[in-house]
Formats: sequence, C-alpha cells, structure tokens
Amino acid sequence: MFRRFFLSLTCLTILALPVSAQTVDEIVNKHIQARGGLEKLKAVKTIRYSGKMQMGQGLEAPAIMEQKRPNSMRMEFTVQGLTAVQAYDGKTGWSLMPFGGKKDPELMGEEELKSISEEADFDGPLVDYKEKGNKVELVGKEPVEGTDAYKLKVTLKNGDVDYLYLDTDSYLQLKQESKRTVRGAERESEVNLGDYKEVEGLMLPFSYEMGLKGVPQKQKIVIDKVELNPAVEDMRFKMPEVKKVEPKPEEKKPEEKKPPEEKK
Amino acid sequence: MPFRPMRILISGLSLLLLFALPTLAQTETPKTEVVKVDSDTFSGLDARPIGPATMSGRIASIDGAIEKGRLTLYVGSASGGVWKSVNGGTTFKPVFDKYTQSIGAVTIDPSNPKTVWVGTGETWVRNSVSVGTGIYKTMDGGENWQHLGLADSERISRILVDPNHGDTVYACATGHLWDASAERGVFKTVDGGKTWQKSLFVNNDTGCAMIAMDPQDTKILYAAMWQFRRKPYLFTSGGPGSGLFKSTDAGVTWKRMTQGMPEGDLGRIGIAVAPSRPSVVYAVVEAKHSALFRSDDLGESWTEMNSGAAIVGRPFYFAHLFVDPRDYDRVYKPGTGLVVSDNGGKAFSGIAGSVHSDFHAMWINPANPDQMFVGTDGGLYTSEDRGNTWRFIANLPLSQFYHVSYDMEQPYNVYGGLQDNSSWFGPSRATSGIQNRHWKSVYGGDGFWVFEDPSDAEYIYAEYQGGNLGRINRKTLETKDIKPFPDAGEKKFRFNWNSPIQISPNSKGTIYFGSQFLFRSHDHGDSWERISPDLTTNDPNKQRQEESGGLTVDNSDAEAHTTIYTICESPRNGDIIWAGTDDGNLQITRNGGKTWTNVVGNVAGLPSNTWVSTVEASRFEEATAFATFDGHAGGDMKTYVYKTTDYGKTWQSLATPDITGYAHVIKEDTVNKNLLFLGTELGLFISVDGGRQWAQFKGGNFPAVAVRDIAIHPRESDLILATHGRGIWIVDDITPLRALTPQVLAMEATFVESRPAVQTIPASEFGFNGDAEYVGRSASEGAPITYYQRKRHIFGDLKFEIYDSSGKLVSTVPGSMRRGLNRIEWSMRMKAPKVPPAAGLVPNFFSFIGPRVLEGTYTVKMIKGKNTYTEELKVIPDPRSKHTREDRLRQYETVMKLYDMLGELTYQVDTIADARDQSRDRATKLPAGDVNRKRVEDLARSLEVVRSKLVATKEGGGITGEEKIREQMGTLYGAVNGYEGRPTQSQILRMEALKKEFDVVVAEFDTFTKKELPVVNAILEKRKLDPIRVMTKEEWEKKQSKQ
Repeated sequence: MFRRFFLSLTCLTILALPVSAQTVDEIVNKHIQARGGLEKLKAVKTIRYSGKMQMGQGLEAPAIMEQKRPNSMRMEFTVQGLTAVQAYDGKTGWSLMPFGGKKDPELMGEEELKSISEEADFDGPLVDYKEKGNKVELVGKEPVEGTDAYKLKVTLKNGDVDYLYLDTDSYLQLKQESKRTVRGAERESEVNLGDYKEVEGLMLPFSYEMGLKGVPQKQKIVIDKVELNPAVEDMRFKMPEVKKVEPKPEEKKPEEKKPPEEKK
Repeated sequence: MPFRPMRILISGLSLLLLFALPTLAQTETPKTEVVKVDSDTFSGLDARPIGPATMSGRIASIDGAIEKGRLTLYVGSASGGVWKSVNGGTTFKPVFDKYTQSIGAVTIDPSNPKTVWVGTGETWVRNSVSVGTGIYKTMDGGENWQHLGLADSERISRILVDPNHGDTVYACATGHLWDASAERGVFKTVDGGKTWQKSLFVNNDTGCAMIAMDPQDTKILYAAMWQFRRKPYLFTSGGPGSGLFKSTDAGVTWKRMTQGMPEGDLGRIGIAVAPSRPSVVYAVVEAKHSALFRSDDLGESWTEMNSGAAIVGRPFYFAHLFVDPRDYDRVYKPGTGLVVSDNGGKAFSGIAGSVHSDFHAMWINPANPDQMFVGTDGGLYTSEDRGNTWRFIANLPLSQFYHVSYDMEQPYNVYGGLQDNSSWFGPSRATSGIQNRHWKSVYGGDGFWVFEDPSDAEYIYAEYQGGNLGRINRKTLETKDIKPFPDAGEKKFRFNWNSPIQISPNSKGTIYFGSQFLFRSHDHGDSWERISPDLTTNDPNKQRQEESGGLTVDNSDAEAHTTIYTICESPRNGDIIWAGTDDGNLQITRNGGKTWTNVVGNVAGLPSNTWVSTVEASRFEEATAFATFDGHAGGDMKTYVYKTTDYGKTWQSLATPDITGYAHVIKEDTVNKNLLFLGTELGLFISVDGGRQWAQFKGGNFPAVAVRDIAIHPRESDLILATHGRGIWIVDDITPLRALTPQVLAMEATFVESRPAVQTIPASEFGFNGDAEYVGRSASEGAPITYYQRKRHIFGDLKFEIYDSSGKLVSTVPGSMRRGLNRIEWSMRMKAPKVPPAAGLVPNFFSFIGPRVLEGTYTVKMIKGKNTYTEELKVIPDPRSKHTREDRLRQYETVMKLYDMLGELTYQVDTIADARDQSRDRATKLPAGDVNRKRVEDLARSLEVVRSKLVATKEGGGITGEEKIREQMGTLYGAVNGYEGRPTQSQILRMEALKKEFDVVVAEFDTFTKKELPVVNAILEKRKLDPIRVMTKEEWEKKQSKQ
C-alpha cells in the first residue's frame, strides 16, 4: 500500500542522483562557450550596463553598473534626481546614499564589502575557477521552475557557497542561489537570469529577478544597453576624498540610510 | 472579461511569417499529441499562505543544539513538516516541504549539529493522525535531505544517535496504525543509515513506542514495545506484545524487564534515563493499573512512584518523560497538562499555566535547564524560568484545518475549524499582511465546519465534536446551541467527530446537519426536520466507542462511527441531495429526502465499507456528481476518486498514477466543468481536462501537506485551501486555469484571461512588530497579466507594454521566465514624476510614485523575442471605494497638473543648474587676476540663489525641515496622489498658489539671464570662451529621453 508513496520517493532520489555522463569541466567549458568563448570574454576589459531597477508601484530607478578588470565595480541608481552609488576598487568598498541629505561617501560595512568584492569578479566564479581557488562540484540535474538545469555548487575561495543552475540545452545560467553569513546568521538569496541577447559575440542576460530564497516576490532589473570596453576611469571606483574635516571613519557613528518615510 | 483572446500576432517579421504560415500551421497542430500537463504547467500561479499562527498546531517532536553560542531548534510538527530556528525561536523556516509533513521524531546528531535525522509519521496516534514515509537525514542543516529507508514504517517515534559515533543510529519504528506490518520495532544502523538491521522485533502488531540510551554507557538501551491498533470505530492499546526491554550490548540482544512492573498486559510505555545519574531510569507504564515507575539500578528493578491522573491519562497521546539534565530527581511528565516532580517522581505539581493543553514534546536546554520548550496541540511555548511562566511562539503557521468556507465581504473572510483549536475566521487580505490579531475564534472545542449564515451575515454556524452545533453572533459572540435531539425512547444520535454541516446552494435559509439521519432546518436551526432514515449500515460492531481505548478507556467521540460524513445538495436541483457515510454508504435522494437510494454498490473497484470522504454534486449537470473515498483508516492508502453522470448508476474512476495520498475532497470549478481540484493527504492535484490527467500543484512553494477541504470564491475566483498542518492558502484568481485547453497548451506563447484588475484603495498601517510574529501574505495589488509559454524564456526580450485607449504607451513591465503559466503584475501607475535633485528626497511616500491610471480598458502587448501578442486589460475601481467616476476624474486631472508642474520644475531647476555650472566653468577659465572673473563668479552665485528659491539646498543630512517649492509641490503631489477621491479645495488653491510662486521665480530667472547673459557673454567672447546658454526645453527633453 505504500508503493505509491515509495514511488514518489524513488523519483526524488533519481532527480538528486549525480549525473555521471558529463564532468564538471565539460559543463563549465560548454557554459563558457555558450557565453561566447574564453577569448571573447577575456577581450572585454570594461563593461557598462544601463537599465532600470523596478522598485515596485511602478517606480523605476535608472541604474548603471560598470565593471573593470580585474575586479573593480560601481553601481548607481537614481531616485528624484538623487543618485546612490556603491563601488569597489579591488580594495575599498564604499557607498554614497544621498536620500537623507548627506552626500558624503562612506565605507561599506564588512558584510557589504564581502558581497561587492565577490560580485566584482569580472568573468564570474566559473571562468578560471581553479586559478581563483574556487571549488566547483556538479550536484546533479535539478529543474528550475520546470526547466532542466545542471546544478553546480561553487565554493568560493573565501568559503562562501553559490549554486549555479545552467540550462541543459543552452548551458547558459538560469539561476543563482547564494548563501551568505550576515552577523552569524545565514541569508539565502536567489537571482533568475533571462532575456539573453548577443552583444558583439557575447551572450548576456538582460533581465534579472532577485530576492530572498523561497520568497515569491522578486525585484526585477531590466538592462536596456550594454557597452563593451567603454572608457571608464579608475577614479569611478575610488572612494572620493571627504572634503570637510571629519572624524576618522572608525569613530563615525553609523548613519541611518533609509529614505525618509515618516509621512507614508 | 479583461483579456479577449484575440491573439493577434503583430510582428516585425509578420510578412515573413505570412509566407511561413503553411509550415507553421503544420508544426502548430502536431499529430493530435497532447501536451503533458505537469506541476510546472500551472505552478506559476502562486498560492499564498495566510496562516494563521495564532493557534498554531500540534507539535510532535523538538530538538535543540547550541551552535556557535546560539540556540538552533528543530521542531517536528504533527502534520506541518519540520521547522528550523537559528535564533532560539524568534523566526522559523520550513525545511522539509518536499516530503511528507507528518513528523514523529527529530534528532540532532550530538556530535555534529549540521546532521539531523527526521523520522516521519507522527506517533501520537489520534483519529486524525497522518502517515510517514520512513527516515531521512540531512548533513547540511536541513537544506538537502536523503531518504534512508524504513519506507513502510508509517511512523517513527524516536531516533537516537550515538553521541560518540554519529553513524550509529537507532530508530524506534512504531509501524502501521491501522493494520499489521513487519517494518516495525527497533532498527539499528552503523553506517549512517545506508543499511539497517532489525534489532528488536516482537510481532506484526507491535511496534516501538520509545527508546532511550544510557548517556555514559551507550551500549545500554531501553525500548518500549507497544501493541496497538486503530479502526475507524475503535482504538485498542495494549496486549501481550507490549513490554519494556533492555539491551546491554548495543541492541544485539534484548531482555524483557519485569521485576516490579505491573502484572498482565501492558500498553504504551514512556522511558527516560536521568542524564546526570544514568542508573536512575523512569518509566510511565500503561497497564490495568497505570503508573510511573522508577529504577535506581539501570532498569533491572522498578518501584511504583505515582499513579495520579496527570501521570496516567491518555497514554496513546502522552507517553513522554523528561528528566532535568542536572537533577536526576526532577522529572517532567507532559500530558493533558504538564506536571513536574522534584522528588524523584513521588509527587507532582502542575506547571502548564496558560499553555494550550495536550503536551507532546519537550526540550530542556542542557546548558541552562531553566530554559525549556514544549510542543502542544496548540503549538510551541517556551519558558525561561522552569515553567513558572510561558511565552507562546507566534511564528509557526501549523494550523490544522478540517474545513474552509468564505463570505461575501470586501475583502472576503475565510472560516474554518481546527484540530483541538476551535473555529476561526479571518480576512483574505489585509493592508500590512494577514496577522495573528486579525483572526477571531468562535465556539471552542475541536472545530470542523464553519459557515456564515447566508441569510443573516451577523451570524455564524459552527460546531464542536460530538455533533454540538451552534449559531454565534459574530459581534457579541452570544452563542445558541442548536443541536437536534432524539425523540422519546430513541437512542442518542450518532454524530461523527467531524459532523457535516451544509448550506443549501439553492435556498438561502436552509441548512443541513447529519448524524446517522439527515436533518434540515429552514429557521436557523430552531427546528429540524428529519429527512432520511438511518443512512448508514447501522452495524452494531462499529458502534463501540464506549469501549474504545484498550487498557485505558478513551471515549472522546473520536471513534463515533456509522454516521453521515458528507452532504451535498445539488446546485442545479434542490430536491437532489447526496449523503456519504463513514462506513461506506453513498446515498442519493431525488425527491428532497422522501426516498433514498444507496448507490455505493455501483462504484466499480471500490472495496466495501470505504469511508466516503466527499460527495460533490455538479453545478453544471444535475445527474453528475463526484465522490472521493478514503480507506486509510482500514489500512488502504489508495486514492479513490469517481464521477457519475447518471445519478450514481455508474461510476468512472478518475484516479491516475500521478496522484498520491488518500483522497479527502474533490471540488469542481464554478465556471469550467473540466477543471477539477483534488485534495489528498499528500497535497493538491489539479486536472484541466475533466480528470483524465492530474498534476500536483506546487505554486508559491505549496508543500506536500494534507489538503482537507477546498472552496472556490465565486466572486473573486480564488481557490481557498484548508490544509491540515499549514493553515489556509489562497490561489488568487484561478481564471487562467480555466483557459488551459489543449489548444492553448500546445501554443508557443499566449495571453491567458485573468479577472479584471482592481485598483485597491491605497492604504498603510503603522506598526513595528519585530520578527517574532507570523504575517500571512496578502494578495498582490497590481493588475495581473497572465500568459502561458510552452518553454522557459531564455533568449531575447520578454516585456509587456501597456497602452491606454488613445494608443499612448503608459508603462513597460518586464516578463517572468518560467515554463507554463506566468503571472506578472502591472502597478497601474504611470512613471514616477520627474523631481529635480536637491538636498534630499521629498518626504512623502506617494511623491516617489506615478499617478494611478484611470479605470478603463488598456491594451497589453507582449513582446517576446521577435513576436508581439496583444490583449486587452480591464481596470476597475476598488469595489469598496465610495468615490464616483467624477471624483476620480477630478483627482486624476489635479494629480496630472501637479505631475506636469513637477516636470516643468525639474526642467527649470536643471536649466538654472546648467547655467550656473557653465558660469562656474567659464570663471575658472578666466585668469585669477582678471577683473571680469568676479563678475562671472557672481553670476554663478546669483543663479545658485535663484535655484535655492526652488529647491532645498541645506546639505549634510539631519532633519533640516527646509521646504522650498520642490518640497512643497512634491508633498502636495504626494497627498493628492495618495487619495483617489476629489482633492480638497485647499489642495487646489495651494496648487494654484505654488504655481504662482514658481512662475515668479521663473520670471526672475528669465529677466536676470536676459539682462546679465548678453553682458557676460560679450566678455567671454572677447576672451574667446564659449558663451553661457540657457538650455532649451527641447534640449532638456532630448537629454531626458536618453536616460
């Protein structure tokens, strides 16, 4: 009488079985090929994405992301003419949140710094993963919302774990799940990637849905334009000098960064 | 209807496609191949949990561990899965949703807290208990689980992990409840669960109820073997198989311990070893004379300590003992209440306090024995002071609903009764989410069917066990018992534990109630008309609930049998009434109860006397009905679901191998007769083709939980699910499911119809509640746009453009990617207004967002790669809104004026800032000693002064309170934008005043630049520098469109 229960269990087990037909390296290589190949990827020294962040209630914030080899990055978005910045120059991570009236850059907290330093890996964690000290394992095949995908477990050099889901047909990435430790507690997030388009021989996602794992509501980012190798000065990533004489960063009290909502 | 299926393909390649049409047509209509419907076909429609967690639900097992100084808890619930907290019980997340939700045991490996074992199948074997599927293990703290066998054990009461060797594990398998089974007893693995040896087995009727280990010498084990059996009408605990066993060689050999134990047959036994002195062992033993026993010699001999009511009550439901980790004389006995002895079991005091009754699980923090967690029929509680006071954990939505109904309020309320938790109603949506405080309870006891009185919405019908029926005033909570009574000389009526109440779909004041007879009332239950003879088998062998319990009598009405269990009046014809009984009769009358026919004999392939769990008369054809049957209480776990189209003369089975779990309920859609919903013990299954194909619904991470009842809200087209263990879930608007024809499923992509989009009244609530209270999800407030795509969208654009009736593009919304149905939403707002940069944001939430579009019909274009699809979308006002269309028009005009004014203001401020920046630039290009340099610098300064009349400029953060035209206009815009009725006279006057003030500054800027620029530009020209120019509107607009 438990046959049916048992059958459903067997199905689950099969899904979780490792796929032995392909090795991790074969899958990673096909993935890199699908994105345009190593040569084309490496030929990109700087990249700029321009698009919109969907902030709910129809509020779209124009957003720009710039990256420069080896690991600099800058993100901006604009609300009511005020532009917020988060940037990393390979060493220092900083942000500027102008919404409350204070327009000085500030050093990022430790967790944010860790997060942006990982994001800044120009080609992503799979390209040259061995040299980078990342570990990649094939967990098996697991569908992403009903579409077959290879699930790769990527253990970054610093110990953080990402799961990448690659479409079994195209080898492009459909989804990423990340687990990070924030103040000693795990936080799991996920990003769906889609709307892949070719830009000068590279396949790039133009649509992102991101949010906490398991929470159906997602924030969406839509890319309108991608520029390969635009001129991007190093200054864009460096933390600007704070002009006024102020206490040293470690003496500063943390600032309230939430936009004012007291009159909701 | 909002989306008309026009499916016009407007494409950039439409000409090409036209040529390609013949081939296309061939591929689009393949060899009548039916597209397989699976979970992902429709799981893009989210189910949203609304809780509640205010009464939570039964907890069967708890374990805890200190990880890096923080308390991790795993809570195994009776029928709602495993929940993990990493913050000592503030928040929880479900970690076992893909598997069976009935949990018997949760054990953390003492040597590695990332390894956790789960034994499925609760062992508090009440009538409504669920079933398990064996033993599972995670090695990563609950993220991934392996099934490690014992699949036919049905229930596991305890798992012990050797603290010195994590791969050595003992599983106490209780085994089948309703029939004999071999996979029961004590199982042992030494390889982490890869293989199991049967360590202790008595017979096919006897399972393991408890196992305990000596923490100092882990070879010493104690096991309680229990002979027990449940039938729908009788529970028996005890028999020659039961006994207390001990092993001193890690489970290789066992001996029965009898010295000092009661004579005769034993029942369920609970055992606990004192961690601080393992020679002390306690056992609570069910026998003819049940009592607590204590051994001071490693279980060799036993002395009776106490046989008080709190110790010996209901052993099948309470058989745990917990000894304080540090004090071997302090022992806790969970039961109906919770009692503790500080003198080794001689005397006990009650410490249940205000906690819900029925304690099943407990965890005492070994590092701090003052801190403890208890699991009850009403959820999880914690104490910091050894049980003097308790805090309820309000974050576990484990509510065990039996049934669900709705009313016609705006928004509608949901009603349902729960296992040991009364009857409740709460809202289907709420501004800040559906919170525990939104739910209200009526009538008490165990709740089952609850309905609003359709003829007087102030009243509610509810019941508790034993056929106790009440009519309750929802405002005053005044309660009137309206149970029907027997005539003189007649025996007490037989009412099912879960007695059926039904509301007539045809005549508003008519209700039904069932014992073995069917009753009908037209006067709110004041008087009852008996409209049937005894519809059951009236088999006296199945009327023995007074004997129920075995060694300990337990007559709680739970075993009342030979009763009516399900009633349905045909929505097409009030004279047709169906009734199904728990002993397997399926009766129909076609003359309003004058004569009845038992048609169950016509159901081919159904074992006799199989419980009729639901009968559902079709709303489309009066001869058609559906029935589900549930044989699990006789050990038959098959899914039985049938349909008749001839008043029950013949029946066709609709079961397929894609369905799992015994069936509780079938529901026919209110619009599409081919759309069917089936709730089983293991989830929700949907058929879009009249029952030929079924697939499990998993939208919104809907778990594999028992779906006991299903309702479809006729106005909203919402699917409302009563789960037994995870509360109420709602799938908003199932209109798209109604459209899933084979033709649609075969299409590459297409729009699918949704209900009209409602512009919910904008609202917000104040509240900072922390994280420790559950909040159910409210419905999305955007306009739903639903589409189907046969494959996941990976390449190229997928976006939706929304046009108003004049053809103007209003919004663009990105699509979602999944295969099957997708539902995205449009905010029904225009783009956010342009607001010039200044010191900070305008402090009004509604200033951030665009005006709401007017009600009416909009056109949606789906741009998917190179193809375009077009549909219509109807936008309607909130039905609660008191504003007239005229009011809303007035608001729209006003907010649009302010929207445009803000745009104009942005242009002016940008222009001024641009001229100022040009001036600053030119000034730096003039030599330091140049006499004219100051003049250009002054110009820049003057322009900044003009700018500062328009926008706040005090920088540096803090609450400056500075308000200029931008801040005032932005706030006014926000105020008008946030209220969708007629703006106030003051607001309109204020708008006009601000316009005037703005015009004055603009004029000042014009006059100033007209006067000053020619002079300055003449100087610049002499120095061969570019002149300072005022940016034109066209130039500005060009810049804007680039952004």
